[in-house]
Amino acid sequence: MQTVTGSEEGAVQQPQPPQPVSAPLPAWRAKQRPPLVRHRDDKVLAGVAVGLAAHLGVPVGWVRIAFVASSIPFGAGFVVYIFLWATMLEEGSPTTLSGMPPAPSAVTGALGTSAGSPPGAVASTVPATASPASPGAATRSSGGGTHHHGIDVAALRSWLRSSNQAVVITLLGVAALVAAGALWLGSVGFDVHAEVVVPVVAIVIGAIFFWSQLDDSSPLGGRRPVRWIWLVVGLGFTLLGLVALLVRGTNISELWQVAGAVLAALVGVSVLCAPWILRLWTNLREEQTARIRATERADIAAHLHDSVLQTLALIQRQSTDATTVARLARAQERQLRTYLYDEDSRAGTFGAALTAAMGEVEDLQGVPVQLVVTGDRPMDQHLDALVKAVREAAWNAVRHASPPVSAYVEVGPDAVEAFVRDHGSGFDLDAVPDDRAGVRESIIGRMERHGGTARIRRRADGTEVELRLPVGDPDTTAPAAPATPTATQSTPPAASPVESAQAAASVQPAGAAAPAEQAAEAEPGAAAAPVAPATTRALTPATTAANEPQEQPS
Amino acid sequence: MTDPRSIRIVIVDDHHMFRTGVRSELTSLAGPSGPATFRLEIVGEAGAVESATQVITEQQPDVVLLDVHLPGGMGRGGADVIRACAGVDSRAGSPVRFLALSVSDAAEDVIAVIRAGARGYVTKTISAEELLTAIGRVADGDAVFSPRLAGFVLDAFGAAAGEVAEIDEELDRLSAREREVMRLIARGYQYKEVAKELFISVKTVETHVSSVLRKLQLSSRHELTAWALGRRLL
Repeated sequence: MQTVTGSEEGAVQQPQPPQPVSAPLPAWRAKQRPPLVRHRDDKVLAGVAVGLAAHLGVPVGWVRIAFVASSIPFGAGFVVYIFLWATMLEEGSPTTLSGMPPAPSAVTGALGTSAGSPPGAVASTVPATASPASPGAATRSSGGGTHHHGIDVAALRSWLRSSNQAVVITLLGVAALVAAGALWLGSVGFDVHAEVVVPVVAIVIGAIFFWSQLDDSSPLGGRRPVRWIWLVVGLGFTLLGLVALLVRGTNISELWQVAGAVLAALVGVSVLCAPWILRLWTNLREEQTARIRATERADIAAHLHDSVLQTLALIQRQSTDATTVARLARAQERQLRTYLYDEDSRAGTFGAALTAAMGEVEDLQGVPVQLVVTGDRPMDQHLDALVKAVREAAWNAVRHASPPVSAYVEVGPDAVEAFVRDHGSGFDLDAVPDDRAGVRESIIGRMERHGGTARIRRRADGTEVELRLPVGDPDTTAPAAPATPTATQSTPPAASPVESAQAAASVQPAGAAAPAEQAAEAEPGAAAAPVAPATTRALTPATTAANEPQEQPS
Repeated sequence: MTDPRSIRIVIVDDHHMFRTGVRSELTSLAGPSGPATFRLEIVGEAGAVESATQVITEQQPDVVLLDVHLPGGMGRGGADVIRACAGVDSRAGSPVRFLALSVSDAAEDVIAVIRAGARGYVTKTISAEELLTAIGRVADGDAVFSPRLAGFVLDAFGAAAGEVAEIDEELDRLSAREREVMRLIARGYQYKEVAKELFISVKTVETHVSSVLRKLQLSSRHELTAWALGRRLL
């Protein structure tokens, strides 16, 4: 059976001593298996063979030959093809995205290898179970396991729930049941008239085809376009069945008459029913729309109640304090914007982190910071440092300079550049006393540790901090930064206890804001300080699995 | 004392409070005895698409301060007004110019009014002085970009990702100089600061910004058309 080929490559690699970084997983498991869907490109009939080949990772030719070869004796391949055609979704259809996740091969593999290990521990347990005796057998059985689990139960269930695949399966079931029933009745001794049974089955099948188009509304009330081919096929089946039922026993010359009568009756009934059905339909749609609107309204009302109304109540109570009112209003505005423009969806990106950091500065200092970000990329530790540096720069700007304060961050293909500009009197870096750790440490030092640069420009009417951080391709993982510089970050270098206390006092004067900021500052250092291995693991969770096998031999 | 230039404006916003606020601020700055270099004459107000179209057609102002979101019309309001008033000339003979004024930061809204024909976009948090400058600039036929709009432009034209036009006339990309100007505006620079930074005249900066505005309105770049399509504008 050619489907095992993929796993045999893995089995060859497996008995060798575990190679932690390059091949922690066998080949068939390391790469994600593409979902089992029909492909529109390169198809000959319906794209079943191409889809199957892509899913199993074998050449298309083999699959096609297998289909043809197995069709010759009893047509088994043909039946399988038809079944797959009916049940496999076409690529790009909406249900392929939600309903059928790309078969998670690591998890399905785990089902085959070690039944006791939880799926989360797969990466670490695989080399361990594979290294003792009979490694080949273990992996080969896991290979078989994967392919049996190729169509997992959840995916099958979601197919059944969705679209016309359910109809086809029902049809096959109905046909099989009727055939079985007829056979049984015939064997028991009842007189089964094929000329009655076959038309009835045809009518039922036609009706199912026809009705399948009614049950197509999506959860939001929008309808998929009706597939007219299904309607036509259903109508054809029903007509044929009716005609066959009525023509039974009479001679063939009356066939046209009967067909005409059936057609006329159908048209008559539909003309009579159409207005009524139409009205029902319109009512239903109106009701549906109203319900959706009511749900949306309730959602919005709940959100407004939790956010805006609460803030308004607070503002009323503190209406004498202009600063507080302004701060509350700004914080609420930002929150509402996040809600309206759905910025939650980009959580975890650099842009979101910047927006959050600037929001924090606004909240704590009560001065708006205009932030413009072009482009975006996923967060990593270097970008995190940049966010902190930008935050520090904005913090200084709102505290020491005068508004408007604007921050512009441009995510380019090979560098991220950030500019924080204010309209204060500016300052000379050389004139800043050495014990002021804010600018020199939190901005310049931090940027340099992460391979970036920082420049402070004094202009006629303000100061501009320019930060630049070279970045690579977002797909390639950034090299793990040495943990030690991060650890030193929290303590100002070459500062006696007295001086550092002064620094803390001068940079961050007493107030509600200062402890919060210090806590945020000290956080990475505190996490990095105690144990070195723990730091690397915390910093790069993706590489922990790769490190595990290295640690096990010792 | 020479008679200063007078600009006739119409304020279109569905919030009465906001209209009143803008009116009083602008009047105190550029009213008959204000300190500004030119006079503003507020000749009309409107709060919906239909009334705005009517007022603008009747009054033929030089500049319309236009909220992006308005009741009435087919789409989002602001763009409908601009399209309904296409071809209306001010009393001075030049086309009526629109300055979009909005609280919305959504790209679709901004791009929608700009592509419908607005000469600029500023947020409602702008100071009265800056608003006055912006009105003067739009009245002269120049473009007004807020830092955020400049950011959108850099994003939409792929300039942030390093795409630069080889010839200036190319509609789908920014030229290197236009990109520089946009970046400085996004950084919060005023036009005269941009000019100083790049060693060019303010007039040249205005030319670059107008050219970017033209590209923004005419380009068929996918991002722009997709944004506009999101508001059913094309």
